[in-house]
Amino acid sequence: MKNLKIYFIILLSVLFSLDVAAQSITPSGKNGMVATAHPLATEAALEILKSGGNAIDAAVAAAFTIGVVEPDGSGIGGGGGMVIYLKETGESFFINYYGRSSENALSIGFDSKRDARTTKAIGVPGTVGGLTMAHKKFGTLPLEKIMEPAIRYASNGFPVDKTLAGLILDHIETVGADPGTAAIFTDDGFPKMEGDIIVQKELAEVLRTIAKKGRNGFYRGHYANQFIETIQERGGVLTKKDFATYKPKFGEPLKGTYRGHDILAANLPESGITLIQGLNMIENYDLRSSGHFSESAKTFHMMAETSKIMYADRFEYVGDPDFIDVPVDVLISKEYARSRYNIINPDKLDPPTYRETIAGDPFGFNKSGMDVSVPDLEMQGGHTTHLSVVDKDGNAVALTQTLGLFFGSAQAISGVLFNCSMTNYSYSSKTANILDNGKQCRSSITPTILLKDRNPFLVIGSPGAGRIIGTLFELIINVIDFDMDVAKANLAPRFYCIKHDDFLHMESGIKPEVRTELEKMGHTIKVYEGIDLFFGGAQMIYVDPETGIYYGSADRRRGGIAKGY
Amino acid sequence: MKKESLTIAILLAVIVSTSTIKAQMYEQPILISSAGQSADVKLVKMLAQRQQLEANTVLMAKASDLEGIKTLLIVPGFSSKGLGAAGVSQQEEYDRVEALIKVAKDLKIPIITVHIGGNVRRKGQSDAFNTLIADNSKGMIVVRQADEDGFFSDLAKKNNIPLTLVDKIVEVGEPMGNLFK
Repeated sequence: MKNLKIYFIILLSVLFSLDVAAQSITPSGKNGMVATAHPLATEAALEILKSGGNAIDAAVAAAFTIGVVEPDGSGIGGGGGMVIYLKETGESFFINYYGRSSENALSIGFDSKRDARTTKAIGVPGTVGGLTMAHKKFGTLPLEKIMEPAIRYASNGFPVDKTLAGLILDHIETVGADPGTAAIFTDDGFPKMEGDIIVQKELAEVLRTIAKKGRNGFYRGHYANQFIETIQERGGVLTKKDFATYKPKFGEPLKGTYRGHDILAANLPESGITLIQGLNMIENYDLRSSGHFSESAKTFHMMAETSKIMYADRFEYVGDPDFIDVPVDVLISKEYARSRYNIINPDKLDPPTYRETIAGDPFGFNKSGMDVSVPDLEMQGGHTTHLSVVDKDGNAVALTQTLGLFFGSAQAISGVLFNCSMTNYSYSSKTANILDNGKQCRSSITPTILLKDRNPFLVIGSPGAGRIIGTLFELIINVIDFDMDVAKANLAPRFYCIKHDDFLHMESGIKPEVRTELEKMGHTIKVYEGIDLFFGGAQMIYVDPETGIYYGSADRRRGGIAKGY
Repeated sequence: MKKESLTIAILLAVIVSTSTIKAQMYEQPILISSAGQSADVKLVKMLAQRQQLEANTVLMAKASDLEGIKTLLIVPGFSSKGLGAAGVSQQEEYDRVEALIKVAKDLKIPIITVHIGGNVRRKGQSDAFNTLIADNSKGMIVVRQADEDGFFSDLAKKNNIPLTLVDKIVEVGEPMGNLFK
């Protein structure tokens, strides 16, 4: 039995290396395509597709699995969102399962710096609710079958890859503090290394219970009681009622257009709104004749300024629509975008520092007393995960999920690593994202599907905290405006420019002469050598409108893989 | 053919065993510092504590931190997270380490490389720090995974310094402690 397990692990390691080697060719297929941040999650989704499951079955399988094999980025203790497109009917849906704060959240006096890695940071986890809802509404295979790969890898173990090894090493103090978390990621107080095996028997038991009982296996009964008791013992305030009453939000994605493509993006308070605004703005500029931003300072400047403005509006106006009035229609309108585009000075950084950027006034919105001067913690790190799936019938899922920061709250209970979504609220007075009881925080996750003539064209998303929206903005432009295939688009150098920063961040692939020119325009540049996890880890699927062939790409900034058949 | 392979294997084993760092060469107190601002230095600190070594840990050590120090342990490995937290660029960190090495050499304080990060702290931006430290060290203790391509073995040969390879991070403690016994 022991030998069998060793063979299983060796086989996994060999498959890893073969998969990674194979990624030098853009994977393609006509029957299905999956792109995730981990080879085993990709395999799990493919296994389900090949068993006759649809894109939703496969995405749910991959989402449960990625929470096991990429436990730093997501898991059943976290939350997320998914955009679903059903090709036959042309219907699209958005399941918002980010979770929300406790009914008692205001009572704990949460401090992001002090409490980020404690049970106080845990919001009601939404992943189990969201994934089981998607399966119930659209799935075709039994939940037990769909969850089988996740249970298998939790129970038998999986080898730590280089990305995870690096994250454990970088966060050794964080993951070493709580005994439950340390038991997963360390040996005798020292970090697990690349090639070491992580076995999560306790998590496997929780997953088995969910597979059997559905959402009630997590939100009610034995495990819910265990979670709540421990969280409260350690100073957190989540209640049994918080768990029992949690329901993901089911509705439509936010819709927009970009140069003849329909956009279906994560709805509020996730960040499709900002992506659509940015694309609407840059639609006013002839990118194609100006040249790619890695080679043209002019293009770069226009895109960086657009990015800075869209983020400024986001900070001012985006929050949970159940609690605040968000001027959605205006923010995603072409007219408002044009007015915001028109304030860009094409020759220089204007105003002269990023922080002086002023948000727009979409509704004549009363800004008196608004304070957006404190950047949120969500802007740090490169956490979260994204996966994209298209099935043989052209149904598509873009799914992004997270624990908050890498390793979330770093509190593991019964093997479940919980989120730190409390760190994603604003705590200065009267901001759109200010904490309230039972409120959902603003999140930068932006799973997105683009359609061309009602057919999926690009299924896309990324981790990367606050950089997610900017990364998607650049990737969509790479594909649509510069005709890059998905692999090239994904590997192209990236940048990041927002209001709440002193630097224009960029990867070193941007030509030196472009950097020099940007500095002359007033930009202050920070360069990251090579490609860097800081700029996300996008998983993309492109469907060729002429041939119908699917092409996948997993970001080399992270240990992901795309596979089709 | 078999016989030749066996002879080579025995020879290699002899070379490895005789090229590990010898004890009693080094004195305490020790300064543990980083080259690249990775969190690895905190683990080396933990290993030193377990060995009950008299060691002070300063992530961004400067020349003044060398006062009274008899041995300098440097833990190389690039971390963008660590550099970000320290608020320094890669070049600034490199310059700081280079300056620290120069002063240590002027003061005749021996430097030991302790590389524990395996593959995670290899190639990319890490190898510039790895090479800088190795080229100025009297010896190296390295978790074997980082030497799969012979990188540290080659540096040891080039600089004619002993190299101790161990399989796990936790195994670094013993040879590190032995340096001072």
